[in-house]
Amino acid sequence: MAEIYPSLVQCAIVAAAFKILLFPAYKSTDFEVHRNWLAITHSLPLWDWYYEKTSEWTLDYPPFFAYFEWIMSQVAKLADPAMLWVHNLEYDSWQTVYFQRWTVIITELVLVYALQMFVDSTHGVSKRAAQAAAVSILLSPGLLIIDHIHFQYNGVMYGILIASLVLAKKKLSLLASGLVFAALLCMKHIYLYLAPAYFVYLLRVYCLSPKSIFRIQFFNCFKLGGGILAIFAAAFGPFALKNQIPQIFSRLFPFSRGLCHAYWAPNVWAMYSFMDRVLIGLAPRIGLPIKADALNSVTRGLVGDTAFAVLPDITPRMCFVLTLLFQAIPLVKLFMRPTWEGFIGGVTLCGYASFLFGWHVHEKAILLVIIPFSLIALKDRRYLGAFRPLAVAGHVSLFPLIFTPAEFPIKTIYTIFWLVGFLMAFDRLAPAPTRQRLFLFDRFSTVYITVSIPLIFYCSLLHGIIFGSRYEFLPLMFTSSYSAIGVVGSWLGFMVVYFTE
Amino acid sequence: MAGPSPHKPRRKAKRAGGNGLSNLPVIMEREALVRVPSFPLAAFLWPARSSVSQWELLPLILMAVGLFRWAAGLWGYSGFKKPPIFGDYEAQRHWMEITTNLPFSQWYFHDLEWWGLDYPPLTAYHSWICGKIGSLIDPAWFALHDSRGSHDPTLKIFMRATVLISEYLIYIPAAIVFVRRFSRLSGVPTWTSSVALVAILMQPATILIDHVHFQYNTVMLGFVLASMSSMLAGRNLWAAFFFVMALGFKQMALYYAFSVFAYLLGVCVFPRINISRFFGIALVTVVSFAILLLPIVAGTMSNASRGITAHPDGAHPPLPLFSDLAKYLNTEAFYYPVVEQLVQMIHRVFPFARGLFEDKVANFWCALNVLIKLRKYPSELLQKGALVATLAAILPPNLILFLRPNRLLLPLAFAATAWGFFLFSYQVHEKSVLLPLMPMTLLLAGKQGLGKDTRAWVGFANILGCWTMYPLLQRVDLRVPYTVLTLLWAYLLGLPPTSLNAYFQDGSSIWSQWATAFIHGFFYLTMAFWHVLDMFVMAPKDKPDLWVVANVGVGAVGFSLCYLWCLGSLVIESEILPTSLTGKKTKAKTQ
Repeated sequence: MAEIYPSLVQCAIVAAAFKILLFPAYKSTDFEVHRNWLAITHSLPLWDWYYEKTSEWTLDYPPFFAYFEWIMSQVAKLADPAMLWVHNLEYDSWQTVYFQRWTVIITELVLVYALQMFVDSTHGVSKRAAQAAAVSILLSPGLLIIDHIHFQYNGVMYGILIASLVLAKKKLSLLASGLVFAALLCMKHIYLYLAPAYFVYLLRVYCLSPKSIFRIQFFNCFKLGGGILAIFAAAFGPFALKNQIPQIFSRLFPFSRGLCHAYWAPNVWAMYSFMDRVLIGLAPRIGLPIKADALNSVTRGLVGDTAFAVLPDITPRMCFVLTLLFQAIPLVKLFMRPTWEGFIGGVTLCGYASFLFGWHVHEKAILLVIIPFSLIALKDRRYLGAFRPLAVAGHVSLFPLIFTPAEFPIKTIYTIFWLVGFLMAFDRLAPAPTRQRLFLFDRFSTVYITVSIPLIFYCSLLHGIIFGSRYEFLPLMFTSSYSAIGVVGSWLGFMVVYFTE
Repeated sequence: MAGPSPHKPRRKAKRAGGNGLSNLPVIMEREALVRVPSFPLAAFLWPARSSVSQWELLPLILMAVGLFRWAAGLWGYSGFKKPPIFGDYEAQRHWMEITTNLPFSQWYFHDLEWWGLDYPPLTAYHSWICGKIGSLIDPAWFALHDSRGSHDPTLKIFMRATVLISEYLIYIPAAIVFVRRFSRLSGVPTWTSSVALVAILMQPATILIDHVHFQYNTVMLGFVLASMSSMLAGRNLWAAFFFVMALGFKQMALYYAFSVFAYLLGVCVFPRINISRFFGIALVTVVSFAILLLPIVAGTMSNASRGITAHPDGAHPPLPLFSDLAKYLNTEAFYYPVVEQLVQMIHRVFPFARGLFEDKVANFWCALNVLIKLRKYPSELLQKGALVATLAAILPPNLILFLRPNRLLLPLAFAATAWGFFLFSYQVHEKSVLLPLMPMTLLLAGKQGLGKDTRAWVGFANILGCWTMYPLLQRVDLRVPYTVLTLLWAYLLGLPPTSLNAYFQDGSSIWSQWATAFIHGFFYLTMAFWHVLDMFVMAPKDKPDLWVVANVGVGAVGFSLCYLWCLGSLVIESEILPTSLTGKKTKAKTQ
């Protein structure tokens, strides 16, 4: 069959041209974070990496990412050695900017390769849909905003994740899929959120016999277990030798942080805070007590430690239990009927649960849901119906990340471009479902998408004109509450689709 | 990628071009892009080939080209942190400053040493509107005297936005309408014309000059496009009006004036003489000029009645031009301030007193200067020489257009005339290459526009045009946007240096293919080699401008070829010569 156009490589080339033009764009403190890590890994001995704290942006990613930084620092030396000095804080010569921005674009080739694997693994009529989904991920406004403006290396890591997901499609490469995922975990531990789905799926299809769950395939267990151990040893081994594991873990899992991140991620807790604020107004009338200290907190709604004035406080343990609970529900079904699509759905639902109920969730984590979901969003129209509000909400929720006026048209127009282009294309490509669609859900998503237009308008323009710089939390709160409704709605919708499949 | 087979049924072409096409002679024997996209841009629009209406596609196209423009605008502009006088950006900002702060009568007189206003009145009105809006946001941006050389980053965003919005209000609608009409007349299906539209809107030279280096050329080009598209629709009066607006925005539109004149006169004479049409056009032209000048004339009169004169210091300097006029006029009369204003405007807009060429620019005179030092000749001789050479260059295309006022010939005639002006006229700036490039790029929307021959030549002209502007761009550190936008466009259209697919089509004569490929190949290699030289080798000490001079020389030769190609195509397309002479070539072209 002839190739489908535009090809991934063509899209990658044009996207790269656009991304190079974005070099002088706004960059967040994450740029300095990664520069600092380049400096740390380049100029300090291995054993000092996780102890170094000259900069406030200490190394808090797992060792594979540190190794990745070390490799890049070998090239960085040629671009501008000054960026590799640990004490050279906030250094951003144009060579540094060019170098770091280039590394993001180049390492993103991993994503292109993984997406090509995904397209190649699909055959027949759905190949066109797979190509559309792959292009949509490659051109995702999420990746553009987070990686190429805000500055991070999600492209390469989501590339590895997709490669691992695609490898899970074939029986022969199941082991490779598990190992690649283990390596990914050693690169960025946020993917632990997806690990339960991997665990259940690999357990069922690789470690247990396909005929009976009571017949264990010991040799497979050995290969998978040994492989994972070897990978973890490669990552953490050198540090374990010097007893640095507790120090690394304290860096990787900083439980001292608050429930909500600086910008509210659009999850259940954002809705919870929103309700709390509404209740502050209502409480005197219905006779609820208000905690005075929480009210007086100046930083309300803007900085991490959220205290609730009316509603009960949330503990990390509660978040953990809720997350695990809502991850477990779909995984039971996955264990019973382990198909590849079910696995991707399970990964997606794990992402949903952790995003919606997790502790100190960052809004960037929405990609953990959107990207796996994109791979199956075109399965049929029911899937697409659940995907649509997520695509809108997830990307709109990233808007507060970029707040500078010069980048405002880029983030909004690019997102609208993507949403219009791909949702239109997806509508044409998604086949009719075999089962009945959720009638009301379609209405919900239409209304929901329509509301986004006045919301973006208010948050980006109207609010500034009416209130100036007062009530800065309002647009953030509206954005995150709105997005939270979309994410929760699409989660519920997808749960129904998943269980009625 | 395999070339399209000549006998492939054109299923899509018929369906997409259904609106009003059926009664036209469908000349799509070898319509490109039939089964496999022959270059990446076609691949990007590939999914929209069937069933997607243009109204779904158009918003996406406009968003995409807008994103590239805005992203390019994140880079620096001309004169950024380059005191003492900064650059074009400061000029435009300064005009907003003087138009919003000074009475009409002083606009063309205020401190001429600091970027005095030297564009026609529509630019002044445009600056006034932009300045008024900007002052609402931050009055400090355009405060009189105090705002000079301002580098407020928010101001930059505002200025970039004014360029983008002006372009989206004028150039882009005009381009969309033009491309639709031109494609329909040429029998090109809608989808193909969308591809051409993207190619035209992504033209690197325009983006680089307007959105990066900073100017408002697209407003003027947009008015010219609107005028051309009115000609396509047969609305000659509107064509005259829009063209006057283009002239009123930037005098550079004079490059096209002969073609506009030749065409409009042509339609009044052929096929039969139509006096009323002629007078209609003449009247509209006069009225348009009157409308254009009305605000400044009325403003000057009202200023004069309130005692505000052009010279706040009360001086009465003689008229800068036509100084004999003062003998016949009463300098105290009520109309004198208006005369003074208009004379000053003409004096500012047409700087006769300057030299043959200002900077290094890739035209004939500058290239000739390398061989013969032109400065040793009296400037009057040079002016006459320039006049004669320009007339000689522009006469043939305009004569053809006059004798054969065929709408399909407009882009070719406009391009040939503008090339003639660019190469031989007086006081050319390197940015003026945008003028011939605009109509030439429009050829992409015509018959066989995306076929190999036209694409190769249009691409060659554009890439060479960008290349000759490189010295200008690199002075303000714009190498990266230059490289990205030029290569991106070359990539999208399958041109060198990214691909050779625009060469060697089957069907046309081997001889002409090889000639095109050889000539273009030579120039592309020279450009690449020049970039290597410029980057790694210092120019010799006694000739510090050597690389720029080389650039100019190569550019001038290349542009001359573009002129000849446009003229040659015009001769063939107009079928003005007996078919026995061109018959063979005509066949080759339409294939």
